Amino acid sequence: MRRNSWPLVVAIGLFCVSAVLPLLFMAATAFRTQADWANAKIGLPTTLSLGAFERAWTGANIGLYFRNSVIVTSATVALSVFSATLAGYAFSKLRWRLSGSVYLFVLAWIAIPPLLLMVPIYVEMVQLGLLDTYGSVIFLYTALNLPFNVYLMTAYFRSVPDELIEAARIDGAGIHRTFQLILLPLAKPAIATLVIFNVLWAWNEFLFALLMLQSDGVKTLTVGVLQLQGRFVSDYPALMAGLLITSLPVIGAYLVFQRHLVRGIVAGASK
Amino acid sequence: MLVGTFVAYPFGSILYHAFTRWDGITPSQWVGLHNFRLLWDDPIFRNALKNNAIFALSVPIQLVLPLIVAFAIHRRVPGWRLFRATIFLPAVYATVVIGILTATVLQLNGPLNEALGGVGLDGLEREWLGDASTSIPLILLIVVWTNFGYNVLLYLAGMSAIDPSLEEAARIDGAGWMRILASIVVPNLRRVLEIVLVVNTITAFAFMFTYIYTITNGGPGTDTYVSEFYIYQQAFTNQNMGYAAAIGVTLVLIVFAIGLFQIRILTRKDER
Repeated sequence: MRRNSWPLVVAIGLFCVSAVLPLLFMAATAFRTQADWANAKIGLPTTLSLGAFERAWTGANIGLYFRNSVIVTSATVALSVFSATLAGYAFSKLRWRLSGSVYLFVLAWIAIPPLLLMVPIYVEMVQLGLLDTYGSVIFLYTALNLPFNVYLMTAYFRSVPDELIEAARIDGAGIHRTFQLILLPLAKPAIATLVIFNVLWAWNEFLFALLMLQSDGVKTLTVGVLQLQGRFVSDYPALMAGLLITSLPVIGAYLVFQRHLVRGIVAGASK
Repeated sequence: MLVGTFVAYPFGSILYHAFTRWDGITPSQWVGLHNFRLLWDDPIFRNALKNNAIFALSVPIQLVLPLIVAFAIHRRVPGWRLFRATIFLPAVYATVVIGILTATVLQLNGPLNEALGGVGLDGLEREWLGDASTSIPLILLIVVWTNFGYNVLLYLAGMSAIDPSLEEAARIDGAGWMRILASIVVPNLRRVLEIVLVVNTITAFAFMFTYIYTITNGGPGTDTYVSEFYIYQQAFTNQNMGYAAAIGVTLVLIVFAIGLFQIRILTRKDER
């Protein structure tokens, strides 16, 4: 393989370059002026202009949307970690009636593409009075990703030896204390996997954000940045600045949690 | 556990309302199979489904190319660490970001046409998104690009679970890497192949909305509609919630049928 694999290596290399290209294009264009863009669509900034970031951040409310995205994403992740660790504990280590069937019932929803349910979900949100609130997407994102999250945590907790739990019980710890003192500290790597998956999902989600979040006070970046396209029809540097602001946090999170993401995919592949 | 009802309840609701005429506000009227009969003859729905089917061409591509790339990384070709880290990057960008970038780059006086003009290929300049015959293949390319790294990582995960002594033995027997891939790696990857198959098919039929919404908005006319986009259109522009629900149910059935069919094929091949 080593000797005649260079065409393949070059091809993979080119693909990887193309993976970084959008980032470079956004960054190069965001630092250019509108006059630069009018002259040439591809090019480096003539002066390092921060004007586009300012126009996007304050002029087009990207700052506000950024805050909303942070709130929605962190609340979704917190709620997901809370519910998935507890459920995973219940399904893996506690013995209760119907445990097996409830587990299957939860997992079955992995197969249903959530987009196809947009109509009833929208109507349900109207009926619950949650439309146009942070709550609508926070609950929804948590619920839609819950089957996968629960699967991940259950699989992880199952790998924890029962003897540990038995020992804790003999020492007089109840099921809650066992969970807090033994399982949670052990689950840190699995929780990191959970965090990165849900950060990517909640930060990047678009359709339900578009349906649920209608006023500027609650809109997240994916919806807000689209508005920038309409508002600044010819201001491409500001648009690129908006896209860059949308992308950098998830790219940063990916770089930090990369290892854990791969572990999650391994778990998914052995499903 | 209660949160699960946010998914289960809507599913029941969509099943019921597919048989009704409903604007989402006033109570719905039972109309039986009316919606499905309309759907059967609806040219926009047929065209949208056809587009979904074209996007499903990504499935054979995603089955083969990421497998070869993953094997190269698995065999530690020069640069494999860097490749493994960057190959997933396209899936990290928000789909909205990719969509807006695509639309920007492909517009009539955008960077792509400028670059073509710059190297003397003026003849190739065109309104890329002005016609479904160019925009659909380009969107297909973008979707393949986005999900490529995810499939590579899936394959890599599967390959790392294969007993390395098997590959070693084959190499000592003088088998080339193509042979090792075909007769040792692939047969041991059945589960991963199944997942890649199903995930990418579902993507083509149920996760195209954001691409279409941001890149062509379904246009020109309704030429680049996909089914999910049509659901959105019927439900939230035309207020035909019942009809939209019927499209949703039909699509769930189609996705399920294709998934089952594919798994059947794979398992049969395996038995041979």
